[in-house]
Amino acid sequence: MRKIPCSGCSLLCDDIIVRSDGIFIDEVIGACLKGKERFDQVTAKNRIVTPMIRDDSDLKKSSWDEAFKKVTKLLKNSNKPLLYGFSTVSCEAQLKGLELANLLNGFIDSNSTICQGKVLNMAKETGLTLTTISEAINKADLLIVWGANAAESIPRLFNKTLFSRGKFRMTGREIKTLVIIDPVKTASFGVMGVRDIALQINPGEDINLIKVLKEECCNPGSIASEGVAGIDNDDLKRLLLHLTGAENGIIFIGQGLLKTQSKKSVIRELLELVQMINVKQQKGRISVILIGGHYNMLGFDHVALSNYGKNHSLQFSNNQLIDTDDTIVSKIEREDFDCSIIVGTDPISHLPQELSKKLAKKPLILVDNKKSATLRIADVVLPSTITGIESEGLAFRLDHVPIELKKIVNPPSNIFSDEEILNQIIEKFKLK
Amino acid sequence: MELYKYLPKTNCKECGKPTCMAFALDLLQGKVKVDDCTPLLEPKYKKQYETLKELLGAEEGIIKELKINVDTDLCDGCGICVTVCPVNARYCPPTLSGKAPDYPPEKHQLFQVKGGKCELLNLEHCRRLESEGRERECRVCETYCPREAVKIEYV
Repeated sequence: MRKIPCSGCSLLCDDIIVRSDGIFIDEVIGACLKGKERFDQVTAKNRIVTPMIRDDSDLKKSSWDEAFKKVTKLLKNSNKPLLYGFSTVSCEAQLKGLELANLLNGFIDSNSTICQGKVLNMAKETGLTLTTISEAINKADLLIVWGANAAESIPRLFNKTLFSRGKFRMTGREIKTLVIIDPVKTASFGVMGVRDIALQINPGEDINLIKVLKEECCNPGSIASEGVAGIDNDDLKRLLLHLTGAENGIIFIGQGLLKTQSKKSVIRELLELVQMINVKQQKGRISVILIGGHYNMLGFDHVALSNYGKNHSLQFSNNQLIDTDDTIVSKIEREDFDCSIIVGTDPISHLPQELSKKLAKKPLILVDNKKSATLRIADVVLPSTITGIESEGLAFRLDHVPIELKKIVNPPSNIFSDEEILNQIIEKFKLK
Repeated sequence: MELYKYLPKTNCKECGKPTCMAFALDLLQGKVKVDDCTPLLEPKYKKQYETLKELLGAEEGIIKELKINVDTDLCDGCGICVTVCPVNARYCPPTLSGKAPDYPPEKHQLFQVKGGKCELLNLEHCRRLESEGRERECRVCETYCPREAVKIEYV
C-alpha cells in the first residue's frame, strides 16, 4: 500500500493509494473512473500478450525473434519510414523513438501535432506565461476554462484546483471564481456557484470576444451595448473586471480553441491578450495551462525540443534534422511514406477515414499493450508493458512538471517495456 | 411563498400577526402552528388546510430519517464531494492536492473514492445531524456534484 502517480490522464494525480501484493492490484483508492480503468488494464481482456505477425491476411502468434526479424526486414526495405504516437509512453521510450527515426532517416511525429503542439509553437513568437497546479491550489483566485469540458475529460481537475483549500486560499471554493466559456452547456457547468460566470458563446466566435477584450484593455469604455458573440454586455464587463483585477488568474486552454474554423489563429490572439493584461496589471498576473488528453503528450515536446530543437514533426535525412512544414496529416495525405511504426496510439480510430485507408495500404508495425482498430491492419504487433504500472518512466504533467511514474506489479512473462522494444529494434537494425 | 399561497390572505389579524405574509414566514420558521390561523379552520378553506398540513408534515413532529444517495452509475469519482464536505475538511489533514484520500479513512470522514466510485462511509457525523442553526442546512455535496449523482433525501 503506497501513494503512486496515476497515468490515466495528463493530470498525473500523485496521491493515489494502491493496495497490491506485487502480482495483482487489490484496491485503488482516490483515483477517478479514468484512472481506475487504467489500473484495470493490467488484467483486461483486450490485452496483447504475445508478439504477432500477419501471415496471409491473418494475425498469428510468433516468437520475439521472428517478430524482430520481420521488423528489421520491413525497415531495411523502406526508404521513407513514418513513426507516430509516443504520447502514452515514457520519456525514455520517446528518446529511443527519436534515435530510431534518426537512424532510419524517417519522419517522426507525436499526437501533439493535432493537439497542444500548435500552442507551444505559437508561444515562440508571443511568449507564454506558464504556471503549475500547486500555484492553482495555493494562490489562484480566478480560473477560466475555455473550450474544454474539464469535468468529464479530466475528472479531478476541478477537485484539485477549484475546490481545494490551499495555503493562501484557506476557504477554498468561496474565494475562487470560475469562468467557463463554451458553446455547449456541458457537465462542467454543474460546479457553478453564485459568483461564477457561465458564458455560452456562439460557436466559432471566440476570436471576436478576444478582440473586444483586447480593445477594451487598450481604451476602456469601447464595448458595444449589444454585446458580442452571443454574450451580453453585463457579463462581458464582469469578465473584464475579473481579468484585470485578479491577483492570480489561470486560463485553461482546451481543445475547443484549437479546432475553431476561423482562418486567423485564435490561440495567438489569446496569448497576446494574456501578455497585454500582464503588462498593464500592477498587482497580479494571468497565466496559462494547456489541457491535453494523453498522459505524456508534453513529454515528447520536451524531449524533442531539448535534443533536436523542434517539438513535433521532425524529418530526418542523412542522419540530421531538416526543415519541413509537413505534419503527420499531410504526410499520409500525400502518401509520402512506405512503412509506418505506431507506438502506443490508435490512429485508425482517431484519424479521418480517408487517411486511415491510406495508412492501411502500407506495412504497419504496432507497439502497444491493448487491442485496438489499428491492430486489425498491423503487419507486426509487439506487445509492451503498461508504463506507470508495470514499468517505470518519466512523464510530463499538463503544467510541464516532470513526474516519475513507478512500478507496482510485475508484467506478464516475456513482455518488455516500450523503451526496451525500441532499443532492440535499433540494435538489430544496426547489426544487419 | 409556497405557504402564503394556501393562507386565506385576508389580513384579519386574528392570529396576532399584522399580515398573512408575516404569518407564513413564522410558519416556515416553526414559531407558530397551522391551527393558530382560526379562519383556516372554517369549512370553505378545508382543502388549503389539508395541503398546508401536508407541506409542513416534517415540522409537525414526524421525524424523518436523513439519507444521502450516491448514484454509482452517474458518479465518475472526481472526488469533489470528498474535498468540499466541511466535515472532511475539519478532520482530514491538509495536503498539497486539497484533500488527499487517506487509508484507513479518518473516523469522521463522510465520503471516500474507492475503485473509481464515491462511497458513503458513515452518516452520523454529517452536518445535517450534528450541527445547529444554519449549518444544519448544508447541501454542498449535492450542489457541487457535476454529475448530479449525490442526492440528499428525507425518508
